[in-house]
Amino acid sequence: MKRAVIALAAVALLTLPFWLASPYHLHVAIMAGIFTILALSLNLLLGYTGQLSLGHAGFFGIGAYTSALLTLKLAWPVWLGLASAAALAGLAGWAIGRLALKVRGAYFVLVTISFAGMISLVSINWMELTNGPLGLPGVPAPELAGLSLRTKSAYYYLVLAAVAGSYLVCHRLVHSRLGRAFLALRENESLAESVGVDPTHTLVLATVVSAAMAGVAGGLYAHYTRFVSPEVFLFSYTVTMVIMVVAGGKGTLAGPVVGAVLFTVLPEALREAMPWQWQLLAYGVLLILLVFFLPRGIVPALSAWRR
Amino acid sequence: MLKRWWSTLLVALVAGALAAPAGFAQSPIKIGVIEPLSGPVAASGNYVRMGAEIARDWVNAQGGVNGRKIELVIEDNKSDPKEAASAAEKLIVRDKVPAIMGAWGSSMTLAAMPKLQEYGVPMVVETSSASSVTKSGNPWIFRISPPSEMEALGLAQYVDKLGVKKADFLAVNTDWGRGSIQAFGDMLKKKGAEVGAAEFMEQSATDMSAQLTKIKSTGGDTLFLTTAVEQITLVLKQSQEQRLTRKVVTTGGSSSPSQLIKQAGAAAEGTYHIVFFMPWFPEAMPDGKLAKAFVDEWAKRGHPFEGLTEGFRGHDGIATIVEAVKIAGKDEAKAIQQALWKVSFTGVNGPIKFDKDGPAGKESGQSKPSIFLVQIKDGKVALPDFLAKK
Amino acid sequence: MNGLVLGGTYALLGIGLTLIFGLMNLVNFAHGEFYTLGAYATFAALTLGGLGFFAALAVAIVLGAAAGALCERVLLRPLRGESIDTTMLVMIGLWIVMQNGELLAWGGVAKSIPHPFPTAPLTLGPVGIAPLRLFVVAAALALIAASWLVIQRTRLGRAMRATFQDRETAALMGVRIDRIHTVTFAFGSALAAAAGALLGPIFLAYPSMGDLASAKAFCVVILGGLGNLAGATLGGLVLGIAEELGAGYVSSGYRDAVGFVIIILVLLFRPSGLFARAERIG
Repeated sequence: MKRAVIALAAVALLTLPFWLASPYHLHVAIMAGIFTILALSLNLLLGYTGQLSLGHAGFFGIGAYTSALLTLKLAWPVWLGLASAAALAGLAGWAIGRLALKVRGAYFVLVTISFAGMISLVSINWMELTNGPLGLPGVPAPELAGLSLRTKSAYYYLVLAAVAGSYLVCHRLVHSRLGRAFLALRENESLAESVGVDPTHTLVLATVVSAAMAGVAGGLYAHYTRFVSPEVFLFSYTVTMVIMVVAGGKGTLAGPVVGAVLFTVLPEALREAMPWQWQLLAYGVLLILLVFFLPRGIVPALSAWRR
Repeated sequence: MLKRWWSTLLVALVAGALAAPAGFAQSPIKIGVIEPLSGPVAASGNYVRMGAEIARDWVNAQGGVNGRKIELVIEDNKSDPKEAASAAEKLIVRDKVPAIMGAWGSSMTLAAMPKLQEYGVPMVVETSSASSVTKSGNPWIFRISPPSEMEALGLAQYVDKLGVKKADFLAVNTDWGRGSIQAFGDMLKKKGAEVGAAEFMEQSATDMSAQLTKIKSTGGDTLFLTTAVEQITLVLKQSQEQRLTRKVVTTGGSSSPSQLIKQAGAAAEGTYHIVFFMPWFPEAMPDGKLAKAFVDEWAKRGHPFEGLTEGFRGHDGIATIVEAVKIAGKDEAKAIQQALWKVSFTGVNGPIKFDKDGPAGKESGQSKPSIFLVQIKDGKVALPDFLAKK
Repeated sequence: MNGLVLGGTYALLGIGLTLIFGLMNLVNFAHGEFYTLGAYATFAALTLGGLGFFAALAVAIVLGAAAGALCERVLLRPLRGESIDTTMLVMIGLWIVMQNGELLAWGGVAKSIPHPFPTAPLTLGPVGIAPLRLFVVAAALALIAASWLVIQRTRLGRAMRATFQDRETAALMGVRIDRIHTVTFAFGSALAAAAGALLGPIFLAYPSMGDLASAKAFCVVILGGLGNLAGATLGGLVLGIAEELGAGYVSSGYRDAVGFVIIILVLLFRPSGLFARAERIG
């Protein structure tokens, strides 16, 4: 039965552009995909190692700017841009990981927030590199064997591939020895240490992978919207990611996916459903209600219900 | 078996809901509006919306366009470029608007521009000031607000009369503030004046004493201030506390002098303001009757007087689109775009007619809005002495 | 001098948040919204209620406490056993609801809060300071002192400290944990509202003013150490003064970075905060 559901879902996803009603819905699907990658990456830190990174927008933004600048100013091919986005974001993750190692809990949160805040200020003020608040318009679209992937359908498949790839990476990671080390650290750090888990090494690795993934999402975002400005570092992006992971169900693999799709579709659905004055208020109320009734997240609640 | 039947039904229902087209048959002419209605600049976005609503009601009171009423479909871009792009896409695809007005901030407008190109829908830009908006080679953009360069040119004629020899700049750290400093700095240098310090403040900053201290030490005679009215209030108050005695000229048209008088009081005395609408003496505007009618209607609706200096943009934006629809004869995007080039009428700000701007072959439209200079004297807004009619 | 004005209010915000964060283990993203509530409450009391300035301030503080208590009872108590991420998410929801509620109620236009102080600056030697600012500093310091007294000298304060240090033992000793939670949240929110009421007349009241306040509050909490009252007080003052100095000597664009840099440096060298004693947290 489960196999059939998965197969059906796969078919639906693969043929999405053909049965979705309009390009607008496809746009929402693409954004949902990008945020799914972001949510999966944040989940690695938040769900599996138990560390709350509130600076994730920083990695996202670094990825976006890196890929945008390399493809715009140096005319690099988009694939190289995306790879560099992952690399640079991963490097930032390594730096933050090493730095934040000395602290845990609330303090780790603060370091990550400060990091995002500083990167944001740099992007606004370093005019020569980032063009500051004026942003970078005209970011090129990817090409595959001479064919431009500018159309929505093409880009959707690109994002879908990236989502599948990210999910696979997370899946392999979580079920590996490293993944068990993550869980051990989350549950009881001193105990984990005593059985030979190296917190330093493990946490830094988690941060690097998480950051690199967020960087790829950033690059994908840049080449889709074709415009990058310092707003990518807005705290609201991080908040949205956190909502997606926790409401979806942190520490599960499906949780972030469900959360990302739900919370990408929700604001757009509210856009249709009610006038602008009430949209955000409704969003907040719905969020509170969701947390109230499903405190562990959607996916864990569904699993419990099915039992 | 039953469970599968239910899930199939559910999927079908959801798919059906998603696939259902929006809107009905004999419908009004829809015009999309994208503004920042929440977030830090919510006030400005809402003023523009209020002006747009006045334009809509006036047009409909006169029978609409070609017998059809116009309807505004209003979206909030939440001061986020990503939202601006999503809003544009939703308006175009779901609401099927043939034209849009927006999106206030230059970043928001720039983010929405690729969507306009993708679907071929024109947008009238009512506030953004970044030059890149009309120079990016997007033929679906028609701007009625002045880019910073045009604004600076508008002030050039008064530089000598104001007696500006050495100017300092204090601007909000956004595309608008930076662009303004660039444009006015260039203009001043061409007129032989000196440029002193150029300081910035974050959009949400409330304490500018450090920047003001730096400015105080340059020995300049004029301070050019570019930011929204709340920050201008704070800067003026803090300048007073620091005993900064020099001419202040605000640029950008968002200074709302009436609000400044109320909130900054004596600290605003003597300051000059570049505005694009003079609601204190509307008869002095190019179409005095229209301007006065707008001011009266605004007051009738109970909107704050301070908002007029931004609200008129909403009116003129919608009025421009309406003109284009009239010329085109139908509410179809491509026809409206071509009609916009033929538009020539007088809005609240003044004459609106689009010239070509940007790379050849894919020019955007840029109108030449009227630019005015006013001064706060004796707690009231007046024309500067050298401009007052004798 | 301006550093003290900012510092005093940062301290108020920080004390409130460190109590909430430390005692209830709650990442209170809505803290800034109580700040905003304080400012708007003052405005409403002055313009709609026709109260005097000082009465309006008092109303704002009381309202902050009441709102805080209400939120704790309705939203937080039912979620008591849940993880910190869950409660954090509820606070995010509250943040969104409060901010947009204010937007709906008051509109996006900033409100100026009238005050009875003369605007001409008093001169103290080479510096000029507005009487209003002097009042704010005085009031902030008074409130800080009052908070200290409550925490250090009253039975309630003792109960709060006991709960913070060792929850189980405190419960065994008869402390009603539920009540302490409500009181703590109300107290912290009242302080935030006080900060908003005091800063409102100097700056302006608008719906998104709380975001920056929240951010600064979190900085102060880390600087001072979680749950450390003295740390929060000193941390707030230090941050305020450092920001003023930083903006003066470094580029003004990077002014907010000062706070961030301080935090990172502090955490590198003294992970438990600048003023914490050698407790190991986490």
